[in-house]
Amino acid sequence: MLDAFIQGLLLVLQWKAFLFMLGGIFVGFWVGLLPGLGGATTLALMLPFIYNMQPVEAFAFLLGMHSVVATTGDITSILFGVPGEATTAAIILDGHAMAKKGEAGRALGAALASSLIGALLGAAALALAIPIVRPLVLTFGSPELFMLAIVGLAFIASLSAQGARGMVRGFLAGGLGLFLAMVGQDPQAGVARYTLDTLYLWQGLDLVPVLVGLFAIPEIIDLVVRGTSIAGNAPTGRINRGALEGVKDVFRNFGLTIRCGLIGTFIGITPGLGGAVAQWMAYGHATQTARTPEERKGFGQGDVRGVIGPGAACNSKEGGALIPTIAFGVPGSTSMAILLGGFFLLGLVPGPDMLTKHLPVTFSLVWTIVLANIITVAACFLLLNRLTALTAIQGHLLVPVVLVLVFIGSYTSNSSYADIIVTIVFGAVGYFMVVAGWPRAPLVLGLVLGKIAENYLYISVARYDFAWLGRPVVVVLLIIAVGVILFPAVQAWRARRA
Amino acid sequence: MTRHASLGLALAIMALSAWGIYSALDWPLKSKLFPLVIAIPLFCLATAEALWVILGKNSAASASDFKLSEDQEPAVARRRTLLAAAWTVGFFLLILLVGFPIAVPVMVFTYLKVQGKESWIFSAIFTGAVWLFFYGLFELLLHLHFPDGWLFGGFGGF
Repeated sequence: MLDAFIQGLLLVLQWKAFLFMLGGIFVGFWVGLLPGLGGATTLALMLPFIYNMQPVEAFAFLLGMHSVVATTGDITSILFGVPGEATTAAIILDGHAMAKKGEAGRALGAALASSLIGALLGAAALALAIPIVRPLVLTFGSPELFMLAIVGLAFIASLSAQGARGMVRGFLAGGLGLFLAMVGQDPQAGVARYTLDTLYLWQGLDLVPVLVGLFAIPEIIDLVVRGTSIAGNAPTGRINRGALEGVKDVFRNFGLTIRCGLIGTFIGITPGLGGAVAQWMAYGHATQTARTPEERKGFGQGDVRGVIGPGAACNSKEGGALIPTIAFGVPGSTSMAILLGGFFLLGLVPGPDMLTKHLPVTFSLVWTIVLANIITVAACFLLLNRLTALTAIQGHLLVPVVLVLVFIGSYTSNSSYADIIVTIVFGAVGYFMVVAGWPRAPLVLGLVLGKIAENYLYISVARYDFAWLGRPVVVVLLIIAVGVILFPAVQAWRARRA
Repeated sequence: MTRHASLGLALAIMALSAWGIYSALDWPLKSKLFPLVIAIPLFCLATAEALWVILGKNSAASASDFKLSEDQEPAVARRRTLLAAAWTVGFFLLILLVGFPIAVPVMVFTYLKVQGKESWIFSAIFTGAVWLFFYGLFELLLHLHFPDGWLFGGFGGF
């Protein structure tokens, strides 16, 4: 295990992998900073570039990019009150209030330092979880893996929207994803299913054009609709003076930083909850540290603890979210669902193999998170003054560049114009889902898990007939799935009674 | 808008799943088992959602997802949404006609001039930079082949 741990570090430090990681950090740095682009969107946009890479290089690139997006997203949130990322919204409450009080440097220092500690905590959780999770995963057969796919889908469908109605929409989106995963030649009998008599659809819907359309097109439309500069009118000037004070604040509230980091890690592990939940739970916990009602009133007015909590939670969730993704192939969030697509593009199957045969690759992911965050935070401290000017990029400059990337990204997945049509169609689907308030994450998860779930179901039935339904772990997972589905209804009933 | 979008999606899923069930009936059991297991509940859920919307029970359920900004007047937002859709589809048609190497600079330049109201010089420099990025990364570095488009290379690429 220790050998694999060190080997993982050495793999990331190979010049090619390290350069790809730096490239990923560079992209993630700007993506986090610009509110117009989301981390998940960029992850989808960058998927086509990994085809010719080795797994370690590809994950150094993708994870290097993804793990720093939340860190730089905090900068936009604090300076302009505009969330750089959906996952950095909670930090606005106190961070932007501090910026308005002339304490932007202190808020940024606190956010960056707490982000780094959070990220290290998440990476440590991932590394520590591997020896615990490995024996568990190795006992899982096809029936258990099929049920895990169902549990993952139940989690993300029921928790990615609020209320019974939201749950129905979550399951509709998940079901649609599963349905779309069936497009193409059936692996068991070779029947061409839902191919519309076109050769292109025989191999099924390619993940990249679907993801690019689903996530990038709605954001492009929103950028055009806003029609303004990305961050609006920004206050400029030197902001790095109080940064060191912010770093000290993190160490003065070290217990809070660790607790919020742990909250983020736990939420990251739990499939379906996602970063948006982590930051608000951490913010809620930070407000609980107020000893008096007066102190409590200070939150939202510029209390540095309101910055430290979400900052730590936001980054620690990434390490946590990788645990179920790697070990069970159950992604904890939209980004992880896209990253899971990356695993398949590279020919890696999450599950037992990632904890045995590919263990050094798995540990290289831990090291990528650690190194990427250290490099990013150092770069942020160095560039603090210059960063403000970049958030004033006009939307009309960004739109054509993003459109070019979207179309090239989808075209290169199969070198077919049909890929672009798929992107446009799913762009429209994604847009209407956003307008209708339907969650997109379950659709992605359904699409990713569909083929695996069908294969595991087929193997389970072929090998055990229907006796697999009585296997203890299957029963436990079934109970968990039902519990997850019923939980929002029970919660609503209890709220009505109270 | 939310109601219409939700109803439209629900009806589309109803139609899709109904077609999915109908098509699956002719397949052998191995092939139709999973489609039926998925498409039947999908049809039922979509019907429930459609009925919910039609009967006016539009709850304030919101997804933990990206939200469109609401700063603009609905009419302006609608017009700009259609504009964005037109640019997207227009870019695709341009790619079909003249291929990526020409469509990319033409689209970027036109967008900057027409939509961004930028000066000729800025538009030209920005377009040049984007084209250099496109050419340098995709053609020189990654050696990706892009077809010439229907006008110059015939009807291919699908």
